[in-house]
Amino acid sequence: MTELLDLSTPLLMGILLGGLYVLIALGLSLVFGVMKLINVAHGDLVILGTYFTFSLMSGELLGHKYLVISNLGIDPILSLVIVMPLLFAIGYAIQKFLMSRAFGISMEAPLIIAFGISLIIQNTCQRLWTPLSRGLTPPYALESFSVGALRVPLIYLLDFIVALIVMLALREFLRRTYLGKAINAASQDKRAASLMGINNNRVYAFAFGIAMAIAAIAGVFLGLTFPFNPTSGVSFLIIAFGVIIVGGLGSMLGTFIGGMFLGLAQTFGGYFLGATAQMLVLYATVLVVLAVRPQGIFGR
Amino acid sequence: MRFTIPQLKLSVRLILLIVIIIVLAVLPVIGLPQQWLIYIRLFCIYLAIANMWNLLCGYSGLISLCQPAFIGLAGYTMIMLAWVGIPIYVGIIAGAIVAAIFALLISVPVFRLRGIYFAIGTLVVPEALKYVFLLWKPVGGKLQGGGAGYVLKGAGEFSTAEVYWLALVIGLASIFLMWFILRSKLGLGLAAIRDNDTTAASSGINVFRLKLFSFIIGAIVTGIAGAIFYISQAAIEPTSAFNIKWTMICILAAVIGGLRSQAGPIIGTLIVVFLHFALARYVGYSLIIQGIILVGVMLVAPHGIMGAVRKSRPYRSLVQLASRH
Amino acid sequence: MEKHTQETSQDALLKVSNIDVFHGSFQALWDVSLEVKPGEMLALIGANTSGKSTLLDTISGLLHPTKGSIEFEGKDISALDPFLIVELGISQVPEGRRLFPEMSVLDNLIIGSYNRKARPKREQNLKQVYGHFPILEERKNQLAKTLSGGEQQMLAIGRGLMADTKLMLLDEMSLGLAPIVLDKLYRALREIRERGITILFVEQNVRRTLQEADRAYILESGRVVLSGTPAELQEEEDVRKAYFGV
Repeated sequence: MTELLDLSTPLLMGILLGGLYVLIALGLSLVFGVMKLINVAHGDLVILGTYFTFSLMSGELLGHKYLVISNLGIDPILSLVIVMPLLFAIGYAIQKFLMSRAFGISMEAPLIIAFGISLIIQNTCQRLWTPLSRGLTPPYALESFSVGALRVPLIYLLDFIVALIVMLALREFLRRTYLGKAINAASQDKRAASLMGINNNRVYAFAFGIAMAIAAIAGVFLGLTFPFNPTSGVSFLIIAFGVIIVGGLGSMLGTFIGGMFLGLAQTFGGYFLGATAQMLVLYATVLVVLAVRPQGIFGR
Repeated sequence: MRFTIPQLKLSVRLILLIVIIIVLAVLPVIGLPQQWLIYIRLFCIYLAIANMWNLLCGYSGLISLCQPAFIGLAGYTMIMLAWVGIPIYVGIIAGAIVAAIFALLISVPVFRLRGIYFAIGTLVVPEALKYVFLLWKPVGGKLQGGGAGYVLKGAGEFSTAEVYWLALVIGLASIFLMWFILRSKLGLGLAAIRDNDTTAASSGINVFRLKLFSFIIGAIVTGIAGAIFYISQAAIEPTSAFNIKWTMICILAAVIGGLRSQAGPIIGTLIVVFLHFALARYVGYSLIIQGIILVGVMLVAPHGIMGAVRKSRPYRSLVQLASRH
Repeated sequence: MEKHTQETSQDALLKVSNIDVFHGSFQALWDVSLEVKPGEMLALIGANTSGKSTLLDTISGLLHPTKGSIEFEGKDISALDPFLIVELGISQVPEGRRLFPEMSVLDNLIIGSYNRKARPKREQNLKQVYGHFPILEERKNQLAKTLSGGEQQMLAIGRGLMADTKLMLLDEMSLGLAPIVLDKLYRALREIRERGITILFVEQNVRRTLQEADRAYILESGRVVLSGTPAELQEEEDVRKAYFGV
C-alpha cells in the first residue's frame, strides 16, 4: 500500500507540472503552427516576462529600487495587466520588423536572427537584474494543500488550472473571431488566405504578439513555481520544444498530452534518479522523442 | 571561390603564403608584446571554430548549435587525462578522438532531423552535457567555480610561445583543411547537397555519409581548438566550457564574414576578436552588442562582407579581368 | 473581328494595358492587354503554358507587372497588395479551389467575408450563397475536405462571393468535374451574373467555354493572340484548326 502512495506524489506533481509546461509551449506552438518558425528565443522571451513581473513586484532595476512606495510591489498575477500588453507589443514588433524580413532572406536567417534575439534578451536581463537566481514569492506561492496523504504546492495546482483556462481561451479565440479564423487560414494556406483579403503580414504579427502575451502568462507562473535566472530560457525552450514534438503540431490536445508527458518524465526521473538528475532526464526524453518520432503522436 | 589577385601567378601566391606563415611563427621569438600574442592566439582558436561552423552550416547545410559540446568534451578529456599523468599533447589528441566519437554517437538521433529540428536537437546536447559535468566529478581534485571545475595540471610547463604556436597550427590547419575539402570530392558532394538534398541523393550521393564526415571533421577541429584554449586558460569548468558563447562566436564570425566563402570566416573572426577585446571593459554589454550586430548583419547584409564584396562593381570587374587571362 | 486591338471604351470595369510579368527571371506575359466590361462573362482560353493563371494572379496582386498598368474602375491597382485588391472588389477562386481543408464549410464562407467592406454584409451574402448552392447550407458544419469535387467548387465560388465581389476571377473551374456538375455550376454563374457581378474565367476546355462566354481572349505563350465573341472566334480559321481540328 505504501508503494502506491509513494508513486502517487510524482504522478500528481507531474501532471500538475505538465500544466505549466503546456502553458510555456502554447506560444511556441502558435508561432510554429502559423509561420512554420521555431522561435529559438521563445524561452528567453518567457523569462523576460518573468523578469518584468519580478521588477514590478520587487521594484528593482539595475540594482536600485525604483518604486517610490517601497515594499509595495505589485502582485505578479495582477502585474499581468501591464506585462501582457508589453510582451504583446514586443512580439508584434519582432515579427513585423525582424522576422518578416528574415523569411525572405534565406532558410537559416530566421533561426540566426532568433538566436541573436535570444542572446540579446539573456544578456539584457543579466545587466538589468544581475545573474543571480530569483523567484517570485508572494505569500500564496509558498502555500501547499493536502490531497489525501499528499501535500502539493498550491502553485502547481494554479499552474494547471491556468493552463486549462488559457488553452480553452485560445481555442475559442481561434475558432470564433475573425482574426482567429484568419490565423487559422493563413497557417493552412498562405496564398489562399491572401486571396480572401487577409493581410498575411498583419496576421503573422498579431499571432506572434498573441503568442508573446501567452508567454507573459507562462512567465509569471514559471516565476512563481521555480527559481529563475537570465539563462533559464534555454531550458524552457527545450522543454517547450519537447512538448510540441511529443504532441504534434496543430493539436491542442496533443500539446496538452505533450505537457503531461514531459511533466511526468521530470517528476518520475527525479523520483528514481534523484532531484539533480531531473533536468537530464528531461533533456534525454526530448532527444529520444526527437529521434524516434519527430512528427509527434498527433502530428498532422 | 577565392578572391584572387589576377595578375599574380600560383607560385608567387605560394611564396607569399609561406612568408606570412614564417612571420607569424617567429613573432613570439622576436619579442612581440604579450598582448599581441594573446590576440593572435585567440584569433587562431576562434578562426578554427568559425571555419568549422562555416563547413557545417555554410557548406553542408547543418545548422549546428552543438559546437560547445565538442569544445567542452575535448577540454575535459585533456584535463582529466592530465590529472592521471598523461601528457597534455596526448591529451589533445585524445580530446579530438573523444569529440569525434561523440559526434558519431549523437549523429544517430540528431541526423534524422532536418533544418530547425536539427538545430534544436543540437542545442540540447551542450545543455545536457553541462548538467552531466556539473554532477559528475570524476577525478577527485580541486574544484573551482560552480561545480566540477578543474585546474589543468602541467599547464604551467607551457610557455606563452608554445601555446601560441599550438593555436597557430590549428588556425592555419583549419584554413588549409577548408581549402582542401572544397576542392575534393567531399566538397563537390556538399555543394550538391546544399542546393537540394533530394536531388543530390537521387544522383547517387550518399547524403548521410557526407554530412557525417563534415560533422565529425568539424567536431575534431573544434575539439582541438577548444583543448588548446583550455591550455591557455589552465582551468576548465562546465558553465563556460559548454556555454552558448562559443556558438555565438562561430555564428557571428561566419555570418559577418560571409557564409559559404573561404575568406569569410577569416574576416569575420578578425572582427569578432576585435569586438571581444574592445568590449572587454563593458562585460555585460559585450554579448548584447554582438547579438545586435548579428541581427543587423543578417537583415542588412545576409551574405556578410564577402557577399557584399562579391556583388560590388570593383570585384566583378576584377573577376572579369582574371577570367580573360 | 479584332485581332487583339485596343478598345478605348470608357466603361471597362477592368483594363489591363500592355503588361509584362516575370516569374523570377522567366518572362510569363508579354505585352498583354485586355478589357473586362461590366456584367459580362469573359473567358480566357489557352493551354497550360499560356500564362493565363499568371494573368489572374497578377490581377489579384500576387504578382506585379514590370511594365504596363492594370486599372479597376479607373483606379490603378498594379502595385497593390492582394488583400487590398480583394477589398476593392476583385475576388479570385483559385485553381484547385484551395479551400481551407480543416475548416468547416461555414467557416470557409465566413473567412471569405474577412475584408472590411464585406463584413457588415456577411449575413446577407451568406443567404445569397445558400440560395445559389443550397447544398452548402446542408453541409455547413462539415469539414471542407469531406466534400465532393463539385461541392468543393461550389464552396470555393461561394467563398469568393462572400467577399462582396464585383469581379470574380475563376481559375480552371472545370478541372476534374463531370459535365452534369459543370452544368449546375454554369447555371449558378448565370444567376450570379444576374445580380450584376462580372466574371472572368480561365479555361482549357474551349467548346464548353465558348458556349457560356460573352467574349473570349485566347492566350498563347504569354501573349494574347485572338479576341472576340464566340461567333467571331469560331469563324476564325486559326481557332478552328487549333482547337477544333477542322
